[in-house]
Parts: sequence; structure tokens; C-alpha cells
Amino acid sequence: MTALRSGAGARVVARRRVSSESRRRALGLTLALPPVLLLAVFVGIPVVLAIGFSLGHNGGLNSTIADIGTGTHSATSWWGTGQAYVDVFTDPRFLRDLGVTVFVTVVSTLLVIATSLAIALNLRLRGGRLATVFAGLAVVPLFIPVVIASWAILTFYSADGFVRTAFALVGLEGPTWGYTTIAVVIGSVWTSLPFATLMATSGLQSVPDAMIEAAKDAGASTRSIVTRILVPLAGIPLVIATTFTAIGILGQFTVPYFTGPNAPTVLGVDISKYFQAFNRPQESAVMAVVVFALASGIAFVYVRANFRSAKKEGRI
Amino acid sequence: MFRRRSMLSVAAAATVTLALAGCAPTTSASAGGDSQSAGAKGTVTVFISGDTNIQTLWQDALIPAFEKANPGTTVKTTLDLHGEHDAQTLAKLASATKAGDAPGYDLIDSGFIQAAGDSGLLTKVSSTTIPNLASVPSTTVAAGKGYGIPYRASSVLLAYDSTKVSTPPKTLDALLAWIKANPGQFAYNSPSTGGAGGAFVTTVLDRYLSDADRTTLETKYDKSLESKWDRGFTTLAALNSSVYQKGVYPNGNQQVIDLLGSGGISMAPVWSDQVISAQDNGTLPKTIKYTQISDPAFTGSPSYLGIPKTSTHAAIAEKLADYVLSPAGQALIASKIAGYPVVKVDGLKASTVAKFSGADPNNLRPGYYSETASDMSNLWDQKVPGQ
Repeated sequence: MTALRSGAGARVVARRRVSSESRRRALGLTLALPPVLLLAVFVGIPVVLAIGFSLGHNGGLNSTIADIGTGTHSATSWWGTGQAYVDVFTDPRFLRDLGVTVFVTVVSTLLVIATSLAIALNLRLRGGRLATVFAGLAVVPLFIPVVIASWAILTFYSADGFVRTAFALVGLEGPTWGYTTIAVVIGSVWTSLPFATLMATSGLQSVPDAMIEAAKDAGASTRSIVTRILVPLAGIPLVIATTFTAIGILGQFTVPYFTGPNAPTVLGVDISKYFQAFNRPQESAVMAVVVFALASGIAFVYVRANFRSAKKEGRI
Repeated sequence: MFRRRSMLSVAAAATVTLALAGCAPTTSASAGGDSQSAGAKGTVTVFISGDTNIQTLWQDALIPAFEKANPGTTVKTTLDLHGEHDAQTLAKLASATKAGDAPGYDLIDSGFIQAAGDSGLLTKVSSTTIPNLASVPSTTVAAGKGYGIPYRASSVLLAYDSTKVSTPPKTLDALLAWIKANPGQFAYNSPSTGGAGGAFVTTVLDRYLSDADRTTLETKYDKSLESKWDRGFTTLAALNSSVYQKGVYPNGNQQVIDLLGSGGISMAPVWSDQVISAQDNGTLPKTIKYTQISDPAFTGSPSYLGIPKTSTHAAIAEKLADYVLSPAGQALIASKIAGYPVVKVDGLKASTVAKFSGADPNNLRPGYYSETASDMSNLWDQKVPGQ
């Protein structure tokens, strides 16, 4: 009797434990669901659809765009068809623009990181009023809409712009950078600088003074303090700044559309032109997949950096 | 198990979202039907595909005047700036009509009216539904093929800075020679971003085509003829080193006019209405003069309005179109954007009439069919800039 009763009691306790566990699990799922759903509906599904469309899967949700577009290829095997990719990769225009996109991305990212690092190091090592002013100015572009900034950059460097006027006043012929790839690089640096500067300054500020002073006491030069203490310790924020800057510049549209030449142009502008003006959405989707692949390559570096730091701190 | 359940909920949520999105147009369409039964009162939407001047014409002149004359009627607008999405808009209209849904607008002002009419996407129009159509010259009405309502005309002209150019070129060949002789002084906008550059490209391409081929390209979509453009594209690519900044093609008609006004260039193809109104506003100096070239001439044509077949407010749209063709509406077009009126207007000032003396709306060289024009923009982009 006692045994039976105790057995029943144990069963009740066990059941209660399960129910509280599953309730906790349900709560966790409910809390995690909104962002997962949001990502799935607004990012995940469209990405899968676009990749499918680029491979010629024109049915279902892709049927409207496939009807509207011209020069669309349909899948010929279970995985689709590579014909749209062949069309795009055999077009010399695309290869040229891909080259320009990679060039603008690499050059602008290097310039942005070098500039933001210089501003941050100046603030960290020397400090003072001027350094604070520089760091503050570098964040100003964050508050100016990109369209306005692009126009300002275009008119500043155009044939009748400020730069050439200033040169002309002293009897020199200034350069015309409006509608050139140089203007695109200038515009890209302008728009990306604030975020990189914020990351670099906060990364460097978080390095304890004690470390720098200890290194100084041991006779380290400023150069070795920078290269062996500051930059490595601020490594993660710098990697984040680099990857985000590169991905942002890779896919940008506004700056190159306003300030750049018609040809060669960057893929962001091409994607829009093919999709809208030329009504060739499938080729546009192919280019988007290419940009996506490039951005994933950059994102891999970011994820690896995060993973390493998590491992070092023992979180994984 | 857990993973499968979350996948299911994602799929369910996606379905619900799509179903809701699918419902939206149906609800608004039925609401529109109710307001129509109340009589002429109600809301119509005008779809505008054009530059900012056309937007100004509707929003600041025609619509306020029409609303004043018809109390209780509200006119809304939807704008596709520069008509960059024309090919897509037409295709969307086609799928909406196929499904029997209202497209979301009731009167279209765009370059694709002809193509839409040919595909049976528009309501037939006549002087019984739009009485003022009777006062438009019959040849202009006939070109609308029973679907298009001609309401204004404009053409592309060659504008030049008379302080730098004393004798402008009279033919296309002379113009091409002038561009090469004066490097950096000529610009035209990329054809996908505006009709003025598009007319220049069309005219150079037409230079090497037979009359029969031109007519075909103007009236229907025939991809096989597009290979005959190659000579024209070679000619255009050869101009790269001679145009503004060695191959810069600005985006949009207005940017070219701005360059002309600031003295960046001294000659460009421009829309007649844009250059006349820019001078009236003072954004373009009076020293900019304009002329038409020949062999071949730049293109131009009447602009047409169309009413979608599945529009739920066709009656009000017809009333609006009728108002646009009335003497009051035509006078607004002439004064606001310097558009050529399509009907004889008695109340116009002599100075306004004099501006249109050089251009007879019945005698304009038409541009390409809309799908052909999209292909032309694509091929131009491939074969001209940066080559």
C-alpha cells in the first residue's frame, strides 16, 4: 500500500517536472519566434526564391516576375538551368563591372579602415581637443542622407565645382572627378567612415591604460605599442568594422548611381538597371547571387573572428 | 520533432501573410465600386510615367482645376519618375487585366499607351464618351487606334548656347561632325533615363535604316530587326571621346538642361516643353536657342492617355480626360509646361502661340514601340558607354 502510494507520488512528481520543462521550452520558443519568423518571411524566403529564379525555377511565387521579364530561361533539369548564368558571365559588360565593384570595395575599405584607425589612435595615444574634434567630425556623415551627400560630392568635384574653381583662382587646371570612379570611392569612404570610426575608437578605448603604461615602462616604442598591443587587442571590433564596411560598399547603389560614370559602373547599379529599365529580372537575380556569394565570403571572416573570440573567452 | 514543428509554423505564417497581401487589392476594389455607384463623385488615380514637369502639370494645374470644376471628386496620382519602369508597369497591367483585377489606377499618362492598346488592356474611347475628342484633328485621334486619347504633343529639339554657337547644325550628319569638331561640348542623357537622350539615340540608329524598317520598329516589337542597329551603335560609340567629359551620359533629361544652363556644355537634345518652361522659370538663360534638325529629324509625338479595361472608375476617368481636352485644360498645358496643344485654342496669348509656330503636332516623327525602346536602352548600355 505504502509502496504503491509512494510510486504514485513519484509518478505525479515526474509528470509535474515534465510539464514545467515543456512549458519553459514553449516560452523560449515563443520568445525566439518573432525574430525567426521575421527573418524567414522577409529575408529567408525571398533569398531562396531569388536563387531559384536565377536557376530558372519560374513556377509558384516566381511566376509573375517570370511572366513580366524578358529573356527569361526556364529550368531544364531537376536543379534548373545555368543558362542565365552563361548569359551574364559571357557579357563583357558584367565582367568589367564586377572588376570595378571589387576594386571600389577593396580600395574604399582600405581607406576607411586606415582613416578610422588613424583617428582612433590619435585619440587614444595623444588625445586632446583636436583629436576629439577629428573623431567627432568623422561621425558627421551618419547624420547626412546619402542622396544629399552624393549630390554634394558630385557638384564639389564636377567640371564647374569648388575644386576646379579654387584651382582656377590660382591659375591652375584642377582635376574633374565628378562622374568618375574616383568620385565613387570618395563617396563610399564618406558614407562608411562613421561606423568604422565608432568601432575603432571604442575598440581602442577599451584597452586598459595599465597595459600601455607597462609596455612604455618596459621601453616599448609607440610603434610596437600600436602594432603589438592596441591593434591586436582591438582586433574583433576592427574585423567587424572591416567586414561591415566591405559588405556595405559591395552592395551600394546611391553613391555610384549619382556620382559615378554610366560605364563602368558597380553591380548595385547594374542590378537595378537590368531589373527596371531593361526588364531582364532573371539576369538581375544572377548578379544579386554573385554579390551575395562575395558578401558571404566576407561574412565568413566576421563569423570566424567572433567564433575565435568566443572560444578564447571560454563561451564555447 | 521540434525542428519540424518550427518549420511548420514558419510555413503557416508565410501562408497567412501572403493570403492577407492577396486580399488587400480586392477589398479596395470593392470599396471603389461602391463610390462609383454614387455618381460622378469619387476618387480616381492618375498614373504618371514621365519627368517632373509632367508631374507638376497634373498635380499643380490640371488636377486642382478639375477638382474645382467637379466638387466631390478627388484625383490622386502615382508617379514613375522618368518612366524607368515602363516595361514592368505594362507587364503588371497585363497580368492584372488577365486576372480581372483593377490595376490601382484609372487613367494612364505614359509612352506605353500604344502597346497597351494593341494588347487589349485599355477601354475603347470615342467622342460619345469623351465629347471633346471631336475637336482634336482626326489624324491625331486615328493614331491612337481607338484606345489612346491624344492630349498634348512635344518633340525633341536641338538646344544650343547662342553665345558660343552662331550657326547650329541643320542635319544629323552636320550635328555628328560638329560634336567631333567640338569635343566636350555636347551631352545627351542615357536613353533609359529620359526621352531626350532616347530621341538622339533613335535618330542616329534610324539614320542607317530603311523607311520600311523604321515603320516596323515604330509600330510593333520585332527583335529580328534589332541587328540592323549595329552601324548606328558604332557611330554612337565613336562619339564617346567627343561628348561631355569624354563619355559621361547624365541620368535624366533635367540634368542635361542643367549642364546647358551652367555652361558645362553648349549643345544638347532636349524636350521642347522642358526647354521652354525652363526659360520661362529663368533656370535657363534666354541665350539658349533651339532648332530642329533634319535627315532624320529628332523624334516627337502626341502624348496619349489611356483608361485601363479593368478600371473601377472609368466614368470619372473619362470626365477627367474630357476636361483635359477642353479649352481650359489645353490652355493649362500650354502655359504650365509649354506643351503643344492638340486642339485649336482661341484663348491663348499670342506670345504662347508663337512659341509653337515651328512645331506642328500632326507632323512629328514618332519614336520606337515601347518594348523595342527598352531593348534599345539595353543594347546602348552594352555597346556605347565605356567602349
